Amino acid sequence: MKILVVDDERIVLESCGRVLGDRFEVRLVKSTDEALEAMSREAFSLILVDIKMPGKDGMTLMRHAKDNWPDIPVIIMSGYVTNETMEEVAKTDAATFLAKPFTPDELVEAVDQVLMKEKGHG
Amino acid sequence: MLYSIRAKLIAGFIGVSLVVGAFSLVVGTRLLDRAVRSEALMRVSLDLNSARELYRARTRTIEVPLNVTTLGYGFLTALKERDIGDLILRLGRMADYASLDFAGIVDGKKEPLCRSGPNAVPSRRNPSANPFTTFALERGTPVSGTFVLSHEFLFEENPQLAERARIDLIPTPGTQPETKRAETSGLALGAAVPVVHDGELLGVLYGGVLLNRDTKIVDTVKDTVFHNEEYKGRSVGRASIFLNDVRISTNVPSQDGGRAIGTRVAEEVKEHVLGQKERWTRRAPVISDWYITAYEPIEDIHGRTVGILGVGVLDEKYADMRWSTLSVFVFITVLGIFAAAAVGCFVAGRLVSPIRRLIRASQQVTEGSLAPDIGPESGDEIGILQKAFKEMVGAVGRRRMESQNRLIMSEKQASVGRLAAGVAHEINNPLTGVLTYTHMLLRRKDLGEEVRADLQTIAEATERVRKIVKGLLDFSRQTTPQREKVDVNKLVNSTIALMENQALVKGVDVKFEPEENLPSVNMDRNQFQSVLLNILINGIDATKPGDRITVTAKSSDLVNEAGQEGVEISITDRGCGIAPEHLDKLFDPFFTTKEVGHGTGLGLAVSLGIVQRHGGSIRVRSEVGKGSTFNIWVPLEGRVV
Repeated sequence: MKILVVDDERIVLESCGRVLGDRFEVRLVKSTDEALEAMSREAFSLILVDIKMPGKDGMTLMRHAKDNWPDIPVIIMSGYVTNETMEEVAKTDAATFLAKPFTPDELVEAVDQVLMKEKGHG
Repeated sequence: MLYSIRAKLIAGFIGVSLVVGAFSLVVGTRLLDRAVRSEALMRVSLDLNSARELYRARTRTIEVPLNVTTLGYGFLTALKERDIGDLILRLGRMADYASLDFAGIVDGKKEPLCRSGPNAVPSRRNPSANPFTTFALERGTPVSGTFVLSHEFLFEENPQLAERARIDLIPTPGTQPETKRAETSGLALGAAVPVVHDGELLGVLYGGVLLNRDTKIVDTVKDTVFHNEEYKGRSVGRASIFLNDVRISTNVPSQDGGRAIGTRVAEEVKEHVLGQKERWTRRAPVISDWYITAYEPIEDIHGRTVGILGVGVLDEKYADMRWSTLSVFVFITVLGIFAAAAVGCFVAGRLVSPIRRLIRASQQVTEGSLAPDIGPESGDEIGILQKAFKEMVGAVGRRRMESQNRLIMSEKQASVGRLAAGVAHEINNPLTGVLTYTHMLLRRKDLGEEVRADLQTIAEATERVRKIVKGLLDFSRQTTPQREKVDVNKLVNSTIALMENQALVKGVDVKFEPEENLPSVNMDRNQFQSVLLNILINGIDATKPGDRITVTAKSSDLVNEAGQEGVEISITDRGCGIAPEHLDKLFDPFFTTKEVGHGTGLGLAVSLGIVQRHGGSIRVRSEVGKGSTFNIWVPLEGRVV
């Protein structure tokens, strides 16, 4: 299974890679553009995306992903939980929301939950 | 405006006193007038009685000497022997003694024998009828009374008497024009006594006084009845004797200052007294002055009305009395008006000055002062107004303070919120790394115990940082309450249940006293629960083992600015209390008195934010060493803030 992680912060990408790397094939990209490029070339089972990024933000990526690959579940991450972000997140089809900072266990649990649900649907 | 209150008050006072004064003036004058007049009429009526008695007494002063004379032996002898000389002598003495104007004797055949005065021995035959002797002989007894004497009789008796009796009529206002130029008859008081000796009529003795131009009776009335009282140089009392309607004896002054003899009585009086033979008492003009008068008819010896006896009291005396009383009334009224004006001024001053001070005070409030000078409080309705004004100013002050505090608080929260959000964003990403790698390291089995313990410390410290950042974010997350109808009693119960373990561990008893039928409140259940949790945790932390925390929920009398009713939840602990200098900062973000690591200092700040977003408020009462009470008030309906 392949998981795409999108975040402008290197440490977050590395952390996710480190936690999920044992069990999944993980692609780490630093921007929306890179993510879209990766998605057009490879198939992913799950996307983890940070909302707040310079340039095209996570929301833009969400819309593109849902337009082109509606079946891929998306987990939204953010360390900036304001009313506005929560409202925006609520409007999207995100599978779940993961507040930063998170422990490895929390990340794994969120990912497992979403994948289990997808499997159930599938 | 103020002057107009004063003017209105004064005008009111003056108006009332004017109306009362004028009314009492009119009524009082009328009553007084009536009393004085009836008193005067009564007095004049009594005076007339006295005058009549004097008039009658005069008759007796004629009758008695005549009777006495006829009893004398010498007189009888002289009469029997027709000793004319002696009789004339005796008649003269008697006339002098009794002040008679005339006296005489007729024989049994009515022939005059002799008389006093000139013509002592009648020379003429066929004399005119003698009314005295004729009547006495008719009756056969002594007679006395009023007689009308003809000019002829008077002339025969004494030409001077006839001259005295003749009275020229003087035109008098208020009377019919005179039908004759003069009155020649005389009105007399007289008596006649038949002299009988041994069954033989020897003759008749007669005598009397002519009232025409007589002054004796009327002046006696003036002297004795009216005590010669004078008013402004004039006699108050007057008396007159009329023959028919002609004044023949009087002390009423005429135009030229003499006696008004020859004037006539007013037509009205004549009609009543002579015509209807009635007493007549009235205020009437007499010659030149007004008098209170009384008249009564004079009857002659035959019972015919032949004249009038009249008395009068100068009306001017009574009129002046009325005027002086009236002027006293007027004076009192004017005085009353001045007094009313003065009292009005005083009362208006008393009323207006506190009102003015209130106006000045309200201007001071407008200019920003919250301690305006309203002067001493008065004890009346204005005092109530002053108190209400004071309370109002106090309330305005408190409101201003509250809203200022609230503004400061929300500004603080907003800026802290923005800062927190920014910081959180920056910290959370590296923190994710720290958390991840620490936990990954901890999973390794090949770690030495010391390294593992160090890693554990890093993990715990990081966890603390995470909590702090989360608190900051919670604080900055101004989420709109998701309202639903909440049973407050249930909410409090479930919240206490959440805390039960922690309380049990510490040995603190948490007791809830719910109010039955508490209305449900439109609120965000989760947010409000976190508020209660926050305060409860603080309470438990502050309370010593074995002590108790009491929670109550009740309907509150308080209403907010929108007039909404609410529910109050009070959490009372008997813990260490809060120092007064800490009370102000209690709700400031990051303010904490707890040891490092035991609180972020955001709990109460977040709680207050939540309650305020519900339109409610938190009040804290606390005493060091005795404990604290947190009163959380929320409106039933709430509003979106």
